[in-house]
Amino acid sequence: MPALTDDFLGALFVEAGAAFEVPASGASDIVDRALGTDNGSSDGSDDGSLDEGAVTPAAETDEPPPGRRTGPGTLRSHRLLAVAAGLIVLAGIAGVGLALRPATGSHPTASVAAGPQRSTSTPKAGGPSRSFSPTQGTTQPQPKQSLSAPPSAAPQSTSPAGQSTKIAQTGSLDLQVPKGTLTSTITALTTLATRAQGFVANTQTRAHPGERGTSPQGSVTLEVPEASFGAVLHDAQVLGKSLNLTTKATDVTGKYVDLQSRITSLQASRQQYLAILAKATSISDILAVQAQLDTLQSQIEQLQGQLAVLTNETTYSTLTVTVHEPPPAHRPAPRAPSGIDRAWHDSVRGFFDGVDGVVGAAGPVLFVVLSLGVVALVGRLLWRRWQRHNL
Amino acid sequence: MVEQDLEAWLEQGYVPSFRTACLILGNRADAEEAVQEAFLRAWRFRASLASVSSIQPWLYRVVVNACYSKLRQEIPHRDHRADDGPLAHIAGRGSDPDTMAQHGQVAETVLHALQQLPVSLRVPVVLRYYADLSERDIALAIGRRPGTVKSRLHEARRRLGEDPSIAALADEPTLDQTGEA
Repeated sequence: MPALTDDFLGALFVEAGAAFEVPASGASDIVDRALGTDNGSSDGSDDGSLDEGAVTPAAETDEPPPGRRTGPGTLRSHRLLAVAAGLIVLAGIAGVGLALRPATGSHPTASVAAGPQRSTSTPKAGGPSRSFSPTQGTTQPQPKQSLSAPPSAAPQSTSPAGQSTKIAQTGSLDLQVPKGTLTSTITALTTLATRAQGFVANTQTRAHPGERGTSPQGSVTLEVPEASFGAVLHDAQVLGKSLNLTTKATDVTGKYVDLQSRITSLQASRQQYLAILAKATSISDILAVQAQLDTLQSQIEQLQGQLAVLTNETTYSTLTVTVHEPPPAHRPAPRAPSGIDRAWHDSVRGFFDGVDGVVGAAGPVLFVVLSLGVVALVGRLLWRRWQRHNL
Repeated sequence: MVEQDLEAWLEQGYVPSFRTACLILGNRADAEEAVQEAFLRAWRFRASLASVSSIQPWLYRVVVNACYSKLRQEIPHRDHRADDGPLAHIAGRGSDPDTMAQHGQVAETVLHALQQLPVSLRVPVVLRYYADLSERDIALAIGRRPGTVKSRLHEARRRLGEDPSIAALADEPTLDQTGEA
């Protein structure tokens, strides 16, 4: 291998460099751009703190010259930073969520919704209602119904106008069942609705007792045919001890008839307009009649929709049954512990409180350590890449 | 500093800067862009020239940084165009065709050998043997210590010596030690 002297290498490099033809307009382009973008800052007061020691790669890349392109490498670095920042933010959100999660979330709650949802809490003004509360011993009879004749017995009489009475019924029942029979009672209520050609709109159960001695409980919303409402209500009451019963029936016959008559009237008008349309000869007449027909059709469809909703409400009655088991027996207060007992229990409780504290603090500490680890990892990666690129 | 200063500055430094960038980047178009960016940056920071003892290493540093930007951000991700390859736009000097071909072949050989070197070795060796900077000025230009520059130059010389095409040129009597073929 021959020795490469400095002179030989210098000659080689000069030879190689001279092979590149210098662009004729390169210097003039620079002058044009420099003077064109100078905008009067010839005193160099923009960032002019550059000397031999202060010239750094960062200082020269922070200020991109006009027309400078952002390379894919920069975009990739930014993407990496964005992904790292996203991971940290996600970890932070998860950590905050864990920290804020309530410690008493131990009540399993099952919620099932099925079938059309109807609100049973909106009171319907003007309808007969009654309330019966055995625990309070008060009964508030209303004019049209009595306990011996449940609302189901009242339904479809015929109005003087020949229209059958339309009644929208709702009811709520508070039922207490023996201990351990909550689930079977919920199932029996579901069976009741199914057997009556109805369906279950909503169920909610809490199977385990709460921390404050509350008993297991659940609620079922049944949608049953209006004719079967009374029978279903009676069968439901048999399943346990009825503590509170509220029913409400709203007579919507007038509204129903009104809607029907308005629809009939509008349909008649539509027929007349159709007859006029058939006789119309000019374009302007046809368009005018057509506009009226469109308006009429829109009104008819709107009223038909309201009628359908009303029909559905009177077809199915809503019965909300709240089922709960009896509350746990009240335990007699323990006798006051002696001094040694109290000291021993305080000691044990303090020990477990300490363990709880350590375990509780471990989560945030672990989160912080993991976050710092991610930041350190990304920083190390970027630092090595930067070093590799700057050499 | 006025327009005449910039023109004088370009007249003195544009050609060596452009060819230095060509040898580092191996591409004439990229070199032209890098040098243009470098001079525009230098022009923007011209106010600090008063505190600079020698403008040459400072200017080379700006050029080298512009070349680094090209190498780091754009060139690795770019689709090579047919007429813009590393060895494009190389023309040999001389009047007769044989001499031109010989010079062109030497230039291609050197450029190919330089492209085989990593950038960390390519930059100092180009600054040393083309721009004729001292090790201290190279250290200033690339932001490294003189000891680092010395070791990199040594490693670059070793690798160039191992390149068979460079070794063949060293054996040929056509290129004398003054660079005249």
